[in-house]
Amino acid sequence: MVYTYKKYTEHRGSAGAVVSTNYVLRKEDNTIIPFSEGNTSYQEYKAWLAAGNTPEEAD
Amino acid sequence: MSQINVDAIRASNGTGDAISLTASDKTCTANITNNLSNRNLIINGSMNVAQRGTSSTSGGYASVDRFKVVDNNTNVTITQSQHALTSSDTGPWAKGFRNSWKQELSAAGNGLDGTSYLYLTHFVEAQNAACSGWDFTSASSYITLSFWFKASTNQTFYGRLATVDATTQNYPFSFTATGNDTWTKITKTIPGNSNCNIVNDHGAGLKLEISLYAGADRTDSGVSLNTWAAYASATRTPDIANTWITAGTSSFEITGVQLEVGDYATDFEHLPYGVELDRCKRYFIADIADRYWYNGEGANVYDYQLISFPTTMRDTPDITFGTDITMTNVNTSGGTNGHGTYAITTTGWNYSPLASATGNITGKVNYTASAEL
Repeated sequence: MVYTYKKYTEHRGSAGAVVSTNYVLRKEDNTIIPFSEGNTSYQEYKAWLAAGNTPEEAD
Repeated sequence: MSQINVDAIRASNGTGDAISLTASDKTCTANITNNLSNRNLIINGSMNVAQRGTSSTSGGYASVDRFKVVDNNTNVTITQSQHALTSSDTGPWAKGFRNSWKQELSAAGNGLDGTSYLYLTHFVEAQNAACSGWDFTSASSYITLSFWFKASTNQTFYGRLATVDATTQNYPFSFTATGNDTWTKITKTIPGNSNCNIVNDHGAGLKLEISLYAGADRTDSGVSLNTWAAYASATRTPDIANTWITAGTSSFEITGVQLEVGDYATDFEHLPYGVELDRCKRYFIADIADRYWYNGEGANVYDYQLISFPTTMRDTPDITFGTDITMTNVNTSGGTNGHGTYAITTTGWNYSPLASATGNITGKVNYTASAEL
């Protein structure tokens, strides 16, 4: 499956909704992917970025 | 029938018995140095754990834990499943196996070309391999792979073991059943090599790949079996026949996968289900997130529930929400279908449904956490 991505909105209690610098949303299966170098989904996301793609803006 | 009647066995220059025998209860005490517990580097090799479900037509990790289908351009539906064995499964049944991992084709693969492939893969975490006692840099140190398999249409299949750190090294081998639909046990003893490298970390260390088919882009007639060489995608294995994949509704089953240090295969190390399940949860967890609270602050408010994982996961996992169980006063147009996450770590994460109004809020949903290799 070819995945696409969208910036993820985190909700941090009283800080409210903020566009995350820690996670991205994989759209096709609604998976929240952490920016962790050892996570294979994150590795796939980085390869997708390196291929010239950019994630959609968050809602 | 001849027999040896002795009370003990010791080395010719030894000072103690290696094996001592007891006449009264017909037992012996043996000082065995290499028959250790936890010796199987493969997790879920008996295919007993299937947290994601027992059957799927998806590729990737989708049925039995820790084993992954990787396929491309076979133009046929591939069903992977945890398959229950019966006493008719001569061979593995008698050895205590009750499940296999089965691949079934809906029809003959068609339109096959150089880009086509169907692999069954398993990754061993690097630190487990690095600290196993196998001197992977030494040609006189061995690791032994064993497994049971059967195929509806027999042919010569190929597999390969790879060390994936630094310059990936590739060790291809072949295996063949004794007949169609006949369970056959395969054993391969593999030496180390000075070019192999396995870093002591939580990434991938060893990759086992069983090839049911691969097109010309990934095979080469000049590939040598049973020897290490630098990996290249185009020389994974020798050319493989398309007998099985074009035969029709073909099936392939595998179980009892064991990879252990040493130059011979010991009996499979059966583990209690709970122990195997716990091992699998380092890589994947399927569970329920549940948060209930009274919200007095109106719509679009989150309140978080810390959920601890039952074990430390290999890496910070993905979180995927599944089927909703209970959603009361939840704004499903916000978050991820109304679900929020925060602070995901290897030991837990925070879950919250997004409130749609003042009042009692309940969000209860199936979720998975994945830190697979």
